[in-house]
Amino acid sequence: MTPPVRTPARGLHEDWAAVLIGGALVALALFVGARGRPADDPGSAKAWPKGWPNALSATIDKPQTWSDSPTRAFVAVDKKDPAKEKSVALPIGLAMAWVAGILVAGAAVRGQAVRGVVPGAAALALLGGLAYLLSAQKVINHYNLEYPLWALVVGLVIGNTVGVPAWLAPALQGEFLVKTGLVVFGAEVLFSRLLELGLPGLLTSWVVTPIVLVATYWFGVHVMRIPSRSLCMVISADMSVCGVSAAIATGAACKAKKEELSLAIGLSLAFTVLMMVLMPPFITRAGIDPIVGGAWLGGTIDATGAVVAAGEMLGKELGDKRPAEVAATVKMIQNSMIGIIAFAVAVYWAGWVERGATGPRRSLAAEAWARFPRFILGFVAASVICSALFVVAPEGARLVEGATLGFTSRLRGWLFCVGFVCMGMQTVFRELAPYLAAGRPLVLYCLGQALNLALSLAMATLTFGWLFRKVVDP
Amino acid sequence: MSHDPTSAGASGGLRLAVAAGVMAVVWLVVLPWLAGRPAVARHIRAMEEGEVHPAAMVYTELEHLPTRAAWVERHLVLWP
Repeated sequence: MTPPVRTPARGLHEDWAAVLIGGALVALALFVGARGRPADDPGSAKAWPKGWPNALSATIDKPQTWSDSPTRAFVAVDKKDPAKEKSVALPIGLAMAWVAGILVAGAAVRGQAVRGVVPGAAALALLGGLAYLLSAQKVINHYNLEYPLWALVVGLVIGNTVGVPAWLAPALQGEFLVKTGLVVFGAEVLFSRLLELGLPGLLTSWVVTPIVLVATYWFGVHVMRIPSRSLCMVISADMSVCGVSAAIATGAACKAKKEELSLAIGLSLAFTVLMMVLMPPFITRAGIDPIVGGAWLGGTIDATGAVVAAGEMLGKELGDKRPAEVAATVKMIQNSMIGIIAFAVAVYWAGWVERGATGPRRSLAAEAWARFPRFILGFVAASVICSALFVVAPEGARLVEGATLGFTSRLRGWLFCVGFVCMGMQTVFRELAPYLAAGRPLVLYCLGQALNLALSLAMATLTFGWLFRKVVDP
Repeated sequence: MSHDPTSAGASGGLRLAVAAGVMAVVWLVVLPWLAGRPAVARHIRAMEEGEVHPAAMVYTELEHLPTRAAWVERHLVLWP
Protein backbone atom coordinates (compact mmCIF):
# COMPACT_ATOMS: atom_id res chain seq x y z
CA MET A 1 0.00 0.00 0.00
CA THR A 2 1.14 3.53 -0.54
CA PRO A 3 2.25 5.61 2.45
CA PRO A 4 -0.61 7.05 4.48
CA VAL A 5 -2.18 10.19 3.15
CA ARG A 6 -0.81 13.29 4.88
CA THR A 7 -3.59 15.10 6.63
CA PRO A 8 -3.89 18.67 7.76
CA ALA A 9 -2.04 19.52 10.96
CA ARG A 10 -5.20 19.60 13.04
CA GLY A 11 -6.39 16.16 11.99
CA LEU A 12 -5.26 12.73 13.13
CA HIS A 13 -2.88 10.62 11.05
CA GLU A 14 -4.72 7.99 8.99
CA ASP A 15 -3.33 5.14 11.14
CA TRP A 16 -4.40 6.72 14.41
CA ALA A 17 -7.81 7.52 12.96
CA ALA A 18 -8.18 3.82 12.10
CA VAL A 19 -7.14 2.85 15.64
CA LEU A 20 -9.56 5.33 17.19
CA ILE A 21 -12.58 4.41 15.10
CA GLY A 22 -11.86 0.67 14.94
CA GLY A 23 -11.20 0.55 18.67
CA ALA A 24 -14.41 2.47 19.39
CA LEU A 25 -16.40 -0.01 17.27
CA VAL A 26 -14.95 -3.03 19.11
CA ALA A 27 -15.61 -1.33 22.46
CA LEU A 28 -19.19 -0.56 21.37
CA ALA A 29 -19.77 -4.20 20.38
CA LEU A 30 -18.45 -5.45 23.74
CA PHE A 31 -20.47 -2.84 25.66
CA VAL A 32 -23.72 -3.70 23.89
CA GLY A 33 -22.96 -7.40 24.30
CA ALA A 34 -22.35 -6.99 28.05
CA ARG A 35 -25.68 -5.20 28.45
CA GLY A 36 -27.40 -8.14 26.78
CA ARG A 37 -25.94 -10.68 29.23
CA PRO A 38 -28.48 -13.51 29.45
CA ALA A 39 -29.84 -14.36 32.89
CA ASP A 40 -29.77 -18.12 32.32
CA ASP A 41 -26.48 -19.95 32.25
CA PRO A 42 -24.47 -17.06 30.77
CA GLY A 43 -21.17 -18.95 30.68
CA SER A 44 -22.47 -22.02 28.87
CA ALA A 45 -21.09 -22.67 25.41
CA LYS A 46 -23.91 -25.17 24.87
CA ALA A 47 -26.64 -22.66 25.69
CA TRP A 48 -24.94 -19.88 23.71
CA PRO A 49 -22.97 -21.57 20.92
CA LYS A 50 -22.48 -18.28 19.09
CA GLY A 51 -22.02 -16.20 22.21
CA TRP A 52 -24.45 -13.85 23.90
CA PRO A 53 -27.01 -12.25 21.60
CA ASN A 54 -25.74 -8.83 20.53
CA ALA A 55 -28.32 -6.16 19.69
CA LEU A 56 -25.99 -4.70 17.06
CA SER A 57 -26.35 -7.84 14.95
CA ALA A 58 -29.79 -6.58 13.86
CA THR A 59 -28.09 -3.58 12.26
CA ILE A 60 -25.81 -5.45 9.89
CA ASP A 61 -25.96 -8.32 7.43
CA LYS A 62 -24.78 -9.17 3.93
CA PRO A 63 -26.50 -10.50 0.79
CA GLN A 64 -27.55 -14.15 1.07
CA THR A 65 -26.49 -16.74 -1.51
CA TRP A 66 -28.63 -16.75 -4.65
CA SER A 67 -28.75 -18.86 -7.78
CA ASP A 68 -31.03 -17.45 -10.51
CA SER A 69 -32.45 -14.20 -9.20
CA PRO A 70 -30.38 -11.60 -7.32
CA THR A 71 -33.51 -10.51 -5.47
CA ARG A 72 -33.16 -13.72 -3.42
CA ALA A 73 -30.01 -12.20 -1.91
CA PHE A 74 -32.25 -10.03 0.24
CA VAL A 75 -34.21 -12.93 1.72
CA ALA A 76 -32.87 -15.17 4.49
CA VAL A 77 -34.27 -18.68 4.61
CA ASP A 78 -34.57 -20.48 7.93
CA LYS A 79 -32.25 -23.50 7.76
CA LYS A 80 -34.49 -25.65 9.94
CA ASP A 81 -37.71 -24.67 8.21
CA PRO A 82 -37.09 -23.58 4.58
CA ALA A 83 -40.68 -22.34 4.34
CA LYS A 84 -39.82 -19.56 6.79
CA GLU A 85 -38.24 -16.54 5.14
CA LYS A 86 -37.39 -13.06 6.33
CA SER A 87 -36.14 -9.99 4.53
CA VAL A 88 -32.58 -8.87 5.23
CA ALA A 89 -32.85 -5.75 3.07
CA LEU A 90 -32.95 -3.46 6.11
CA PRO A 91 -29.80 -4.82 7.84
CA ILE A 92 -28.00 -4.77 4.47
CA GLY A 93 -29.00 -1.12 4.03
CA LEU A 94 -27.91 -0.37 7.59
CA ALA A 95 -24.57 -2.09 6.93
CA MET A 96 -24.00 0.32 4.07
CA ALA A 97 -24.90 3.16 6.42
CA TRP A 98 -22.27 1.88 8.91
CA VAL A 99 -19.57 1.98 6.23
CA ALA A 100 -20.62 5.39 4.92
CA GLY A 101 -20.72 6.69 8.50
CA ILE A 102 -17.23 5.32 9.19
CA LEU A 103 -15.90 7.00 6.04
CA VAL A 104 -17.42 10.31 7.14
CA ALA A 105 -16.19 9.91 10.73
CA GLY A 106 -12.73 9.08 9.41
CA ALA A 107 -12.72 12.23 7.33
CA ALA A 108 -13.82 14.27 10.35
CA VAL A 109 -11.12 13.04 12.72
CA ARG A 110 -8.49 13.47 10.02
CA GLY A 111 -9.46 17.09 9.49
CA GLN A 112 -11.11 16.67 6.07
CA ALA A 113 -14.18 18.62 5.05
CA VAL A 114 -17.03 16.24 5.91
CA ARG A 115 -19.63 17.65 3.54
CA GLY A 116 -17.53 16.78 0.48
CA VAL A 117 -17.21 13.16 1.60
CA VAL A 118 -20.88 12.30 2.15
CA PRO A 119 -22.04 11.69 -1.47
CA GLY A 120 -18.96 9.63 -2.33
CA ALA A 121 -19.25 7.61 0.88
CA ALA A 122 -22.85 6.73 0.07
CA ALA A 123 -21.96 5.73 -3.50
CA LEU A 124 -19.01 3.58 -2.36
CA ALA A 125 -21.19 1.81 0.20
CA LEU A 126 -23.67 0.97 -2.58
CA LEU A 127 -20.84 -0.31 -4.80
CA GLY A 128 -19.65 -2.45 -1.89
CA GLY A 129 -23.16 -3.88 -1.74
CA LEU A 130 -23.00 -4.65 -5.45
CA ALA A 131 -19.67 -6.47 -4.99
CA TYR A 132 -21.14 -8.50 -2.12
CA LEU A 133 -24.16 -9.31 -4.30
CA LEU A 134 -21.89 -10.62 -7.08
CA SER A 135 -19.93 -12.76 -4.61
CA ALA A 136 -23.15 -14.25 -3.20
CA GLN A 137 -24.06 -16.04 -6.46
CA LYS A 138 -24.03 -19.73 -5.55
CA VAL A 139 -21.42 -20.95 -8.04
CA ILE A 140 -19.09 -18.11 -7.09
CA ASN A 141 -19.75 -18.57 -3.41
CA HIS A 142 -19.43 -22.34 -3.28
CA TYR A 143 -16.16 -22.30 -5.21
CA ASN A 144 -14.65 -19.84 -2.76
CA LEU A 145 -14.24 -16.82 -5.04
CA GLU A 146 -14.40 -14.41 -2.12
CA TYR A 147 -15.84 -10.89 -2.11
CA PRO A 148 -12.51 -8.98 -2.23
CA LEU A 149 -12.02 -10.24 -5.79
CA TRP A 150 -15.40 -8.89 -6.92
CA ALA A 151 -14.90 -5.66 -5.01
CA LEU A 152 -11.66 -5.17 -6.94
CA VAL A 153 -13.44 -6.04 -10.21
CA VAL A 154 -16.23 -3.53 -9.57
CA GLY A 155 -13.68 -0.83 -8.76
CA LEU A 156 -11.44 -1.70 -11.71
CA VAL A 157 -14.33 -1.61 -14.16
CA ILE A 158 -15.44 1.83 -13.00
CA GLY A 159 -11.94 3.26 -12.62
CA ASN A 160 -10.85 2.06 -16.04
CA THR A 161 -13.95 3.09 -17.98
CA VAL A 162 -15.52 6.30 -16.74
CA GLY A 163 -12.81 7.00 -14.18
CA VAL A 164 -13.36 8.39 -10.70
CA PRO A 165 -15.88 11.24 -10.67
CA ALA A 166 -14.67 14.37 -8.90
CA TRP A 167 -17.55 14.27 -6.42
CA LEU A 168 -16.55 10.73 -5.34
CA ALA A 169 -12.80 11.30 -5.03
CA PRO A 170 -12.77 12.80 -1.49
CA ALA A 171 -14.38 9.61 -0.14
CA LEU A 172 -11.93 7.29 -1.88
CA GLN A 173 -10.12 6.20 1.29
CA GLY A 174 -9.59 2.49 0.70
CA GLU A 175 -6.51 2.20 2.86
CA PHE A 176 -8.23 3.87 5.78
CA LEU A 177 -11.15 1.43 5.48
CA VAL A 178 -8.84 -1.59 5.29
CA LYS A 179 -6.82 -0.40 8.28
CA THR A 180 -9.99 0.24 10.29
CA GLY A 181 -11.22 -3.20 9.22
CA LEU A 182 -7.98 -4.73 10.45
CA VAL A 183 -8.29 -3.06 13.88
CA VAL A 184 -11.85 -4.45 14.11
CA PHE A 185 -10.54 -7.82 12.84
CA GLY A 186 -8.17 -7.93 15.84
CA ALA A 187 -11.15 -8.86 18.03
CA GLU A 188 -11.53 -12.12 16.07
CA VAL A 189 -7.85 -13.11 16.29
CA LEU A 190 -7.84 -14.94 19.61
CA PHE A 191 -4.58 -16.34 20.93
CA SER A 192 -6.41 -18.98 22.96
CA ARG A 193 -7.49 -20.60 19.68
CA LEU A 194 -3.86 -21.46 19.05
CA LEU A 195 -4.04 -24.26 21.58
CA GLU A 196 -7.21 -25.85 20.28
CA LEU A 197 -5.53 -28.99 18.91
CA GLY A 198 -2.72 -29.17 21.42
CA LEU A 199 0.83 -29.93 20.46
CA PRO A 200 0.11 -31.72 17.18
CA GLY A 201 -1.85 -28.72 15.92
CA LEU A 202 0.79 -26.28 17.11
CA LEU A 203 3.57 -28.21 15.40
CA THR A 204 1.64 -28.53 12.14
CA SER A 205 0.78 -24.83 12.04
CA TRP A 206 3.57 -23.08 13.89
CA VAL A 207 6.61 -24.90 12.61
CA VAL A 208 5.71 -25.15 8.95
CA THR A 209 4.05 -21.76 8.44
CA PRO A 210 6.96 -19.49 9.46
CA ILE A 211 9.49 -21.70 7.63
CA VAL A 212 7.48 -21.53 4.40
CA LEU A 213 6.81 -17.82 4.77
CA VAL A 214 10.45 -16.88 5.36
CA ALA A 215 11.84 -19.32 2.76
CA THR A 216 9.43 -18.14 0.04
CA TYR A 217 10.10 -14.49 0.76
CA TRP A 218 13.87 -15.06 0.78
CA PHE A 219 13.71 -17.06 -2.46
CA GLY A 220 11.64 -14.39 -4.19
CA VAL A 221 13.94 -11.55 -3.12
CA HIS A 222 17.38 -13.17 -3.38
CA VAL A 223 17.08 -15.99 -5.93
CA MET A 224 14.30 -14.86 -8.27
CA ARG A 225 15.30 -11.24 -7.73
CA ILE A 226 11.74 -9.92 -7.87
CA PRO A 227 12.26 -6.16 -7.51
CA SER A 228 9.42 -5.58 -5.06
CA ARG A 229 10.06 -7.01 -1.60
CA SER A 230 6.52 -6.16 -0.53
CA LEU A 231 5.10 -8.25 -3.40
CA CYS A 232 7.24 -11.21 -2.27
CA MET A 233 6.04 -10.75 1.30
CA VAL A 234 2.34 -10.55 0.42
CA ILE A 235 2.52 -13.62 -1.84
CA SER A 236 4.46 -15.55 0.82
CA ALA A 237 2.00 -14.61 3.56
CA ASP A 238 -1.20 -15.35 1.68
CA MET A 239 0.18 -18.68 0.51
CA SER A 240 1.64 -19.85 3.83
CA VAL A 241 -0.77 -18.42 6.41
CA CYS A 242 -4.41 -18.09 5.42
CA GLY A 243 -5.02 -16.49 2.07
CA VAL A 244 -6.78 -13.19 1.54
CA SER A 245 -7.01 -12.16 5.20
CA ALA A 246 -3.26 -12.72 5.67
CA ALA A 247 -2.53 -10.86 2.44
CA ILE A 248 -4.57 -7.88 3.65
CA ALA A 249 -2.90 -7.82 7.09
CA THR A 250 0.68 -8.28 5.91
CA GLY A 251 0.11 -6.05 2.86
CA ALA A 252 -0.87 -3.24 5.20
CA ALA A 253 2.04 -4.04 7.54
CA CYS A 254 4.64 -3.87 4.74
CA LYS A 255 2.90 -1.05 2.85
CA ALA A 256 2.42 -3.11 -0.30
CA LYS A 257 1.04 -1.35 -3.34
CA LYS A 258 -2.60 -1.95 -4.19
CA GLU A 259 -1.60 -3.62 -7.47
CA GLU A 260 0.58 -6.07 -5.50
CA LEU A 261 -2.22 -6.85 -3.10
CA SER A 262 -4.66 -7.36 -5.98
CA LEU A 263 -2.26 -9.75 -7.70
CA ALA A 264 -1.61 -11.74 -4.53
CA ILE A 265 -5.34 -12.08 -3.84
CA GLY A 266 -6.01 -13.22 -7.42
CA LEU A 267 -3.27 -15.86 -7.21
CA SER A 268 -4.46 -17.09 -3.85
CA LEU A 269 -8.09 -17.44 -4.90
CA ALA A 270 -7.23 -19.23 -8.16
CA PHE A 271 -5.07 -21.82 -6.39
CA THR A 272 -7.54 -22.18 -3.55
CA VAL A 273 -10.27 -23.29 -5.97
CA LEU A 274 -7.92 -25.81 -7.61
CA MET A 275 -6.63 -27.22 -4.34
CA MET A 276 -10.10 -27.40 -2.80
CA VAL A 277 -11.33 -29.53 -5.69
CA LEU A 278 -8.22 -31.65 -6.33
CA MET A 279 -6.75 -32.42 -2.92
CA PRO A 280 -9.56 -34.51 -1.34
CA PRO A 281 -9.67 -37.07 -4.20
CA PHE A 282 -5.87 -37.13 -4.29
CA ILE A 283 -5.69 -37.90 -0.55
CA THR A 284 -8.18 -40.74 -1.00
CA ARG A 285 -6.48 -42.21 -4.08
CA ALA A 286 -3.02 -41.94 -2.54
CA GLY A 287 -4.20 -43.76 0.57
CA ILE A 288 -3.08 -41.02 2.94
CA ASP A 289 -4.37 -41.41 6.48
CA PRO A 290 -7.60 -39.33 6.71
CA ILE A 291 -6.56 -37.40 9.82
CA VAL A 292 -3.16 -36.66 8.34
CA GLY A 293 -4.98 -35.66 5.16
CA GLY A 294 -7.27 -33.33 7.12
CA ALA A 295 -4.30 -31.65 8.80
CA TRP A 296 -2.61 -31.39 5.40
CA LEU A 297 -5.67 -29.64 3.93
CA GLY A 298 -5.79 -27.25 6.88
CA GLY A 299 -2.12 -26.40 6.58
CA THR A 300 -2.00 -25.83 2.84
CA ILE A 301 -5.26 -24.56 1.33
CA ASP A 302 -5.24 -20.79 1.72
CA ALA A 303 -8.83 -19.89 2.51
CA THR A 304 -10.65 -21.01 5.65
CA GLY A 305 -13.97 -21.75 3.97
CA ALA A 306 -12.27 -23.78 1.25
CA VAL A 307 -10.44 -25.82 3.90
CA VAL A 308 -13.73 -26.73 5.56
CA ALA A 309 -15.28 -27.53 2.17
CA ALA A 310 -12.34 -29.78 1.23
CA GLY A 311 -12.41 -31.44 4.66
CA GLU A 312 -16.13 -32.10 4.21
CA MET A 313 -15.50 -33.64 0.76
CA LEU A 314 -12.74 -35.83 2.14
CA GLY A 315 -14.88 -36.88 5.10
CA LYS A 316 -17.78 -37.79 2.79
CA GLU A 317 -15.55 -39.91 0.61
CA LEU A 318 -14.29 -41.77 3.67
CA GLY A 319 -17.42 -41.64 5.83
CA ASP A 320 -15.45 -40.02 8.66
CA LYS A 321 -16.08 -36.62 10.31
CA ARG A 322 -12.61 -36.29 11.79
CA PRO A 323 -10.73 -35.03 8.70
CA ALA A 324 -13.05 -32.02 8.45
CA GLU A 325 -12.68 -31.31 12.18
CA VAL A 326 -8.89 -31.44 12.04
CA ALA A 327 -8.71 -29.43 8.81
CA ALA A 328 -10.92 -26.64 10.18
CA THR A 329 -9.08 -26.47 13.47
CA VAL A 330 -5.60 -26.38 11.92
CA LYS A 331 -6.77 -23.52 9.70
CA MET A 332 -8.28 -21.72 12.69
CA ILE A 333 -4.89 -21.95 14.42
CA GLN A 334 -3.33 -20.37 11.34
CA ASN A 335 -6.02 -17.64 11.39
CA SER A 336 -4.99 -16.87 14.95
CA MET A 337 -1.38 -16.38 13.86
CA ILE A 338 -2.22 -13.39 11.66
CA GLY A 339 -1.76 -10.86 14.47
CA ILE A 340 1.69 -12.11 15.42
CA ILE A 341 2.80 -12.38 11.80
CA ALA A 342 1.50 -8.93 10.83
CA PHE A 343 3.24 -7.43 13.86
CA ALA A 344 6.52 -9.21 13.04
CA VAL A 345 6.33 -8.11 9.39
CA ALA A 346 5.67 -4.49 10.43
CA VAL A 347 8.67 -4.53 12.79
CA TYR A 348 10.92 -6.15 10.15
CA TRP A 349 9.80 -3.68 7.49
CA ALA A 350 10.17 -0.61 9.66
CA GLY A 351 13.42 -1.72 11.27
CA TRP A 352 15.26 -3.34 8.39
CA VAL A 353 13.75 -3.07 4.91
CA GLU A 354 12.83 0.63 4.89
CA ARG A 355 15.76 1.61 7.08
CA GLY A 356 18.12 -0.05 4.63
CA ALA A 357 16.51 1.81 1.75
CA THR A 358 17.31 5.23 3.11
CA GLY A 359 20.44 4.55 5.15
CA PRO A 360 20.78 4.72 8.92
CA ARG A 361 20.18 8.04 10.55
CA ARG A 362 19.02 7.18 14.03
CA SER A 363 19.08 4.15 16.29
CA LEU A 364 17.33 1.03 15.05
CA ALA A 365 14.55 1.38 17.62
CA ALA A 366 13.96 5.04 16.78
CA GLU A 367 13.94 4.34 13.03
CA ALA A 368 11.62 1.38 13.48
CA TRP A 369 9.23 3.35 15.64
CA ALA A 370 9.21 6.29 13.22
CA ARG A 371 8.16 4.04 10.35
CA PHE A 372 6.02 1.54 12.24
CA PRO A 373 2.42 1.44 10.93
CA ARG A 374 0.54 2.56 14.03
CA PHE A 375 -2.73 0.88 13.12
CA ILE A 376 -1.02 -2.48 13.80
CA LEU A 377 -0.95 -1.43 17.47
CA GLY A 378 -4.75 -1.15 17.39
CA PHE A 379 -5.02 -4.53 15.68
CA VAL A 380 -2.78 -6.20 18.30
CA ALA A 381 -4.47 -4.36 21.21
CA ALA A 382 -7.95 -5.51 20.09
CA SER A 383 -6.61 -9.05 19.76
CA VAL A 384 -4.92 -9.05 23.20
CA ILE A 385 -7.94 -7.53 24.99
CA CYS A 386 -10.45 -9.91 23.42
CA SER A 387 -8.12 -12.90 23.96
CA ALA A 388 -7.80 -11.94 27.64
CA LEU A 389 -11.59 -11.61 27.98
CA PHE A 390 -11.98 -14.94 26.21
CA VAL A 391 -9.74 -16.91 28.56
CA VAL A 392 -10.44 -15.16 31.86
CA ALA A 393 -13.91 -16.72 32.34
CA PRO A 394 -16.53 -18.62 30.33
CA GLU A 395 -18.74 -15.52 30.44
CA GLY A 396 -15.97 -13.48 28.83
CA ALA A 397 -15.71 -16.04 26.05
CA ARG A 398 -19.46 -15.85 25.36
CA LEU A 399 -19.31 -12.04 25.40
CA VAL A 400 -16.46 -11.95 22.86
CA GLU A 401 -18.10 -14.58 20.65
CA GLY A 402 -21.39 -12.69 20.59
CA ALA A 403 -19.69 -9.38 19.81
CA THR A 404 -17.46 -10.78 17.06
CA LEU A 405 -19.84 -13.24 15.39
CA GLY A 406 -22.84 -10.95 15.70
CA PHE A 407 -21.27 -7.66 14.73
CA THR A 408 -17.53 -7.05 14.27
CA SER A 409 -16.85 -9.86 11.77
CA ARG A 410 -19.71 -8.65 9.56
CA LEU A 411 -18.62 -5.03 9.83
CA ARG A 412 -15.02 -6.01 9.05
CA GLY A 413 -16.26 -7.76 5.90
CA TRP A 414 -18.05 -4.63 4.72
CA LEU A 415 -15.05 -2.42 5.50
CA PHE A 416 -12.73 -4.69 3.50
CA CYS A 417 -15.26 -4.95 0.68
CA VAL A 418 -15.70 -1.19 0.24
CA GLY A 419 -11.96 -0.70 0.82
CA PHE A 420 -11.23 -3.00 -2.11
CA VAL A 421 -13.76 -1.21 -4.31
CA CYS A 422 -11.76 1.98 -3.61
CA MET A 423 -8.46 0.25 -4.37
CA GLY A 424 -9.83 -1.18 -7.61
CA MET A 425 -10.97 2.28 -8.67
CA GLN A 426 -7.49 3.65 -8.08
CA THR A 427 -5.78 0.86 -10.04
CA VAL A 428 -5.11 1.34 -13.73
CA PHE A 429 -4.95 -1.88 -15.78
CA ARG A 430 -1.65 -1.01 -17.42
CA GLU A 431 -0.03 -0.60 -13.99
CA LEU A 432 -0.75 -4.27 -13.34
CA ALA A 433 1.20 -5.37 -16.43
CA PRO A 434 4.74 -5.08 -15.00
CA TYR A 435 3.74 -7.34 -12.11
CA LEU A 436 2.56 -10.02 -14.48
CA ALA A 437 5.63 -9.78 -16.72
CA ALA A 438 7.55 -13.04 -17.02
CA GLY A 439 5.11 -14.65 -14.63
CA ARG A 440 7.57 -14.44 -11.76
CA PRO A 441 4.95 -13.90 -9.04
CA LEU A 442 3.13 -17.01 -10.32
CA VAL A 443 6.36 -19.02 -10.24
CA LEU A 444 7.10 -17.79 -6.73
CA TYR A 445 3.61 -18.76 -5.58
CA CYS A 446 3.92 -22.24 -7.15
CA LEU A 447 7.36 -22.90 -5.66
CA GLY A 448 6.29 -21.67 -2.24
CA GLN A 449 3.12 -23.75 -2.36
CA ALA A 450 5.14 -26.83 -3.39
CA LEU A 451 7.35 -26.35 -0.32
CA ASN A 452 4.24 -25.77 1.81
CA LEU A 453 2.62 -28.99 0.51
CA ALA A 454 5.76 -31.07 1.16
CA LEU A 455 6.55 -29.71 4.62
CA SER A 456 2.92 -29.72 5.78
CA LEU A 457 2.46 -33.35 4.72
CA ALA A 458 5.70 -34.33 6.45
CA MET A 459 4.75 -32.54 9.67
CA ALA A 460 1.13 -33.79 9.62
CA THR A 461 2.43 -37.34 9.17
CA LEU A 462 4.94 -36.88 11.99
CA THR A 463 2.45 -35.39 14.45
CA PHE A 464 -1.02 -36.77 13.69
CA GLY A 465 0.22 -39.96 12.06
CA TRP A 466 2.97 -41.01 14.42
CA LEU A 467 4.06 -38.98 17.47
CA PHE A 468 0.57 -38.25 18.83
CA ARG A 469 -1.36 -41.06 17.19
CA LYS A 470 -3.18 -41.81 20.45
CA VAL A 471 -5.05 -38.52 20.07
CA VAL A 472 -6.34 -39.70 16.75
CA ASP A 473 -7.29 -43.29 17.44
CA PRO A 474 -10.72 -43.91 19.00
CA MET B 1 -3.18 8.51 -3.49
CA SER B 2 -3.92 10.45 -6.58
CA HIS B 3 -5.80 9.01 -9.48
CA ASP B 4 -5.67 10.02 -13.05
CA PRO B 5 -8.89 8.88 -14.68
CA THR B 6 -8.06 6.82 -17.74
CA SER B 7 -11.01 7.96 -19.69
CA ALA B 8 -14.05 10.10 -19.43
CA GLY B 9 -17.04 11.18 -21.41
CA ALA B 10 -18.96 9.17 -23.96
CA SER B 11 -16.33 6.53 -24.75
CA GLY B 12 -15.88 5.83 -21.05
CA GLY B 13 -19.63 5.55 -20.58
CA LEU B 14 -19.88 3.16 -23.50
CA ARG B 15 -17.10 0.99 -22.13
CA LEU B 16 -18.78 0.92 -18.73
CA ALA B 17 -22.07 -0.08 -20.35
CA VAL B 18 -20.36 -2.90 -22.26
CA ALA B 19 -18.57 -4.14 -19.14
CA ALA B 20 -21.81 -3.99 -17.14
CA GLY B 21 -23.61 -5.85 -19.91
CA VAL B 22 -21.00 -8.61 -19.98
CA MET B 23 -21.18 -8.96 -16.21
CA ALA B 24 -24.98 -9.06 -16.30
CA VAL B 25 -24.89 -11.89 -18.87
CA VAL B 26 -22.33 -13.83 -16.84
CA TRP B 27 -24.17 -13.45 -13.52
CA LEU B 28 -27.75 -13.75 -14.78
CA VAL B 29 -27.32 -16.33 -17.54
CA VAL B 30 -23.99 -18.19 -17.48
CA LEU B 31 -23.61 -18.76 -13.75
CA PRO B 32 -27.24 -19.87 -13.18
CA TRP B 33 -26.80 -22.31 -16.11
CA LEU B 34 -23.55 -23.54 -14.59
CA ALA B 35 -25.25 -24.00 -11.22
CA GLY B 36 -27.59 -26.48 -12.88
CA ARG B 37 -24.81 -28.71 -14.30
CA PRO B 38 -24.75 -32.05 -12.46
CA ALA B 39 -21.21 -31.82 -11.03
CA VAL B 40 -21.61 -28.22 -9.88
CA ALA B 41 -25.12 -28.83 -8.54
CA ARG B 42 -23.81 -31.85 -6.63
CA HIS B 43 -21.02 -29.77 -5.08
CA ILE B 44 -23.41 -26.97 -4.11
CA ARG B 45 -25.90 -29.43 -2.62
CA ALA B 46 -23.17 -31.17 -0.61
CA MET B 47 -21.95 -27.85 0.77
CA GLU B 48 -25.47 -26.73 1.68
CA GLU B 49 -26.34 -30.04 3.32
CA GLY B 50 -23.14 -29.90 5.35
CA GLU B 51 -23.83 -26.24 6.22
CA VAL B 52 -20.37 -25.43 4.89
CA HIS B 53 -19.65 -21.88 3.87
CA PRO B 54 -16.77 -22.22 1.40
CA ALA B 55 -16.41 -18.47 0.86
CA ALA B 56 -15.57 -17.84 4.52
CA MET B 57 -12.40 -15.76 4.76
CA VAL B 58 -11.72 -16.59 8.41
CA TYR B 59 -13.13 -19.04 10.95
CA THR B 60 -15.58 -16.53 12.42
CA GLU B 61 -17.49 -16.56 9.12
CA LEU B 62 -18.10 -20.30 9.26
CA GLU B 63 -21.57 -21.64 10.00
CA HIS B 64 -20.15 -23.78 12.79
CA LEU B 65 -17.11 -22.62 14.76
CA PRO B 66 -14.36 -25.22 14.89
CA THR B 67 -14.21 -26.57 18.41
CA ARG B 68 -12.00 -29.13 19.99
CA ALA B 69 -13.56 -32.38 18.84
CA ALA B 70 -14.76 -34.89 21.38
CA TRP B 71 -12.19 -37.41 20.21
CA VAL B 72 -9.40 -34.92 20.87
CA GLU B 73 -10.93 -33.89 24.18
CA ARG B 74 -10.82 -37.49 25.40
CA HIS B 75 -7.05 -37.55 25.19
CA LEU B 76 -6.03 -33.97 25.61
CA VAL B 77 -3.86 -33.42 25.77
CA LEU B 78 -2.39 -29.98 25.28
CA TRP B 79 0.99 -31.57 25.82
CA PRO B 80 0.52 -35.32 25.38
